[in-house]
This record gives sequence, C-alpha cells and structure tokens, in this order.
Amino acid sequence: MKIDVADVRAMTKAIDLAIPEDELLPVAIRLSALLEIMHTIERELGDRMDAVDPVPPVFAEPARQP
Amino acid sequence: MSIYLERIERHDGILRSYITVLADRALAQAKAAEIEIGKGNYRGVLHGIPYGVKDQLYTRGIRTTLGSRILQDFVPEQDATVIERLEAAGAILLGKHNLHEFGKGGTIDFPFGQPRNPWDISRTPASSSTGSGIAPAAGLCSGALGNDTGGSIRWPAAANGIVGLRPTFGRVSRHGGLMFGWNADTIGPMGRRVFDCAALLQAIAGHDPGDALSARVPVPDYLSALDGDLRGVRIGLIREMTWVDGMHPAVKAAMEESVRVLRSLGATVEEMSLSLAKYAVPLQMLTTDADVASVFLRKWLRTDWDRFDKGTRSRLATACLVPAPIYNRAMRARVLVRQEMLDAFKTFDALITATHLQPAPSIAKSRETVGSDTDMLERVLRRRISTWPFSGANVPAIALPNGFTDDPLPMPVSLQIASSPFSEAVVLKIAHAYEQATGWHERHPDLALTTRAQASTAA
Repeated sequence: MKIDVADVRAMTKAIDLAIPEDELLPVAIRLSALLEIMHTIERELGDRMDAVDPVPPVFAEPARQP
Repeated sequence: MSIYLERIERHDGILRSYITVLADRALAQAKAAEIEIGKGNYRGVLHGIPYGVKDQLYTRGIRTTLGSRILQDFVPEQDATVIERLEAAGAILLGKHNLHEFGKGGTIDFPFGQPRNPWDISRTPASSSTGSGIAPAAGLCSGALGNDTGGSIRWPAAANGIVGLRPTFGRVSRHGGLMFGWNADTIGPMGRRVFDCAALLQAIAGHDPGDALSARVPVPDYLSALDGDLRGVRIGLIREMTWVDGMHPAVKAAMEESVRVLRSLGATVEEMSLSLAKYAVPLQMLTTDADVASVFLRKWLRTDWDRFDKGTRSRLATACLVPAPIYNRAMRARVLVRQEMLDAFKTFDALITATHLQPAPSIAKSRETVGSDTDMLERVLRRRISTWPFSGANVPAIALPNGFTDDPLPMPVSLQIASSPFSEAVVLKIAHAYEQATGWHERHPDLALTTRAQASTAA
C-alpha cells in the first residue's frame, strides 16, 4: 500500500519523532516500497508463515560438522 | 610499523581510511613486541602484526566515534572483547577505521572525511566497514576487523579487492561493540589473504560471558583447514543471486572462470535455486533495521536529528515506522527464507555467488538518496541482493577477489562463498584453495598512480 507524506507525518507524531517536512517524502517512498513487497511476500508465503514461529536466527549448535 | 605509518601519512589524506591513528602507542608496542619475541616469547602468527578496527568497537581511552558527529568525543572505558583477544595474541592496534555512520550504510556526508577506493579514488570503497576495506588493500595495515549486518564486511572486501569474512552470528563476541542489530550484527576479519582472515578469526572466535548470545560451539583450528584439498567438496551456485539482469560482464566472466577453477581443484559445482532469496533484503530491512532504529529513536533521533547524516536518519526513521504486526510477519517470513537456505546445505557443502553484481560505482552513484521508487529499487534494495540472504540466514560467508574489470583503472570483482552455521573452516578452506590457484590476492592498487593522478579531480 502507498504511504504518503501525510501518513508519515502522522506516524512519526505517534512515536514522538519530529522530521523536517522536506525529509518526509524519502521516508514515505522507502516505507511504501517495503510494505508493498511485504504484500507480495504474504501472497506467496502467508499460509506457511502462519505455521512457523518468528524465531530469530540465533544458533547454539552447528548445523553440520566442519 | 614505521612503514605503515609512513604510508598512512602519505596516502590517507586522500583515502581517509582512518579516523584515529595511534602512531606513538603502536610504535611503542612494536618495540615491546620486538623485545619480547627476541627473548623467545613468541605468541603466534599475530605477534607484532599491526591491525585496524572499524570505529564501532570500543577501545579503552581511545575515542570511538561510530563515524558520527554525535559521538565524535566519546571515549569508552573498556576494550571490546575482540580487542582484548587480539592484544593477548600480540597484535598491535594501529588505529580506528572510518565507516558509514553507525554502521548503517548509505552515509552521504562523512564527518571524518570522504573515504575513497584505492583502485580509483572517484569510486566508493563501499559500506559500511569502509576504512577496514581500504586500509588492508592500500597497505595501510596488515588486517582489520569489520562488522557485518547485511554485507558490511563483504561488500567493502569486494570493492577494495581483499578478503572479508562474515562469521556465523554468535561465533565472535559482540561485547564492546556498539551494535543494535541484536541477532544479525557480527564482527569479522578483513585482510589481503585468506590466511590473514583465518588467523584473525582464530584469535577472536569463541564464547564470551560478556555476550549472552555468543555460542559455546568449540572453535576449530582454522589454519589447519587451509590444506588446498577440495576433492569431494560439493558446491552449489545460487542462480538467483548470481545470473541476474544487469550483471556486469566482468563479474559474469569472473564467476564463470571461478566455477572452472573450483572444478579443476576437485570440487563439484552445480547451479541450484533459492527462490525465496529475493525477499531477504526487504525482510531484513523490516526487522533488523527496526531493531536498530528502536534503540536510536530514544537515544538520538528525537534529540539530535540534525546531527545525523541525512542518509542514515532517513533509513532509521523509515525503520522506526514499521508496524509491529508487519515486523512479526516479516520475522516469520525470514524463518522460511532461512530454512530454504539451510535445507540447501543438506545437499551442498557450500554455496557460491558473486559478492556484488557490479564493481564499485562512483561515489556519487553510491549515495542512497531516495527521491523516487527507482532510487529505492536501485540504490537501496537491488545492490544488496547478493549478500543479504546469507546474513538473514545467519550463515558464514566470505568474499575474496576473483578478477578485474577492463576499465582504464581496473576495478576488482569478487567471489562469495558461504556454508552452514559454524562452518567457517569450510568457507576458509574453499577460499584458500581458490586463492592459491588464482593469485588475485597478489594484485594491489598502485597508489602512486591512483591517488596522485586523480587528486585534483576527485569528486
């Protein structure tokens, strides 16, 4: 979904972060791109994503012996 | 030591690989090492060897700036664990290396001087362990430590024609490094040769009580893995991260030749697919970037916005706005992307790609100014496609030179080799055998040509 400057202004207000007006657009472009890609990922992997836990990639043991 | 200091004096005013040079301290330690070795107390291959570190690692009593105006006067009261371990091995800290602000990549205005590529000073030396890539390449230190979240060791290694290893997250202690990518940031070695990286890794690897996420996995003998024997080694070449539209012809040619060399050394190499690798960059930006930004929001974004570099603050602000459910969904997707790669290691001992699809671009072209969707795609997402999948999966990956372009000032291109978690010995073994068979590591930039000739026309 497209995030615009007004959206970014509201979102940054929600987290108490003041950004100059002329720097809102790059943030909107960046966030829009990432959220649109996430939509694509959900379409392809959504069901499989539901079936896993959001575990970070921290390994305690090696996956193979060197 | 004196030779390094003289070269820094002569060339680093242009290259800007160092933020802080510890000349007197290093000379004194070199003298002490000389005496100690003379008395028969030789600590090993790193004894007396000068190294530098990305100015993201704490050094007691020595300023640690993170490449930022915000921390330009910060002096830690402790050494990072990796610094302590290298000191114990007898290595000598020569200085703190320049970097992209806070290790984020995309810095537009460097407060400590614009770093430049020693092969062509109009080009970027890449990010974010910038100075740690320049200095070994230019002969301004013997080796370096960088830090890699998505590619910040491997891309500077590729751009500067040296070797850089991203270890498995947890292999090397993060204690004493200002790194907020809490499950992605990893410190690793950079140097002209695979041996240099293996020696540095040997000294710094291993569990540290100071880092709760450092692994208790035993540290093998990395140097003994450098035996040149690749018979029976099974290598997969990741199609989606290598044969990509827009790949530079020199990168393509170098990869084709690299495959031939690896086969001649006894390895099997076959193409394979990781269909989900294309999602690694956005997924990590929606998660790791958000982890980092959540700390910066309170620390400095709210209070010191103007003191951040413009590129850094734009990226951090974006990451601050990732909604929590999106973060959660992205972490789930990362599990699937990661598992696809880990499954590949059931068939292959190692996976290879080009480290970067293009040689280092001009400094102007490398700046991550985002004014359009095209900028976002080309300057932010696409250029990260070949390194971030390995970071997202948390597997070790090494970059080493595998050729040059045919530009008037030839630029290095690079091969990337990855293996399963804690298999650094495997990547070092393959990299070393390849290196010894090809000799690319013996080619160094002619600084008399590249720095003097272009000093007057530098951007």
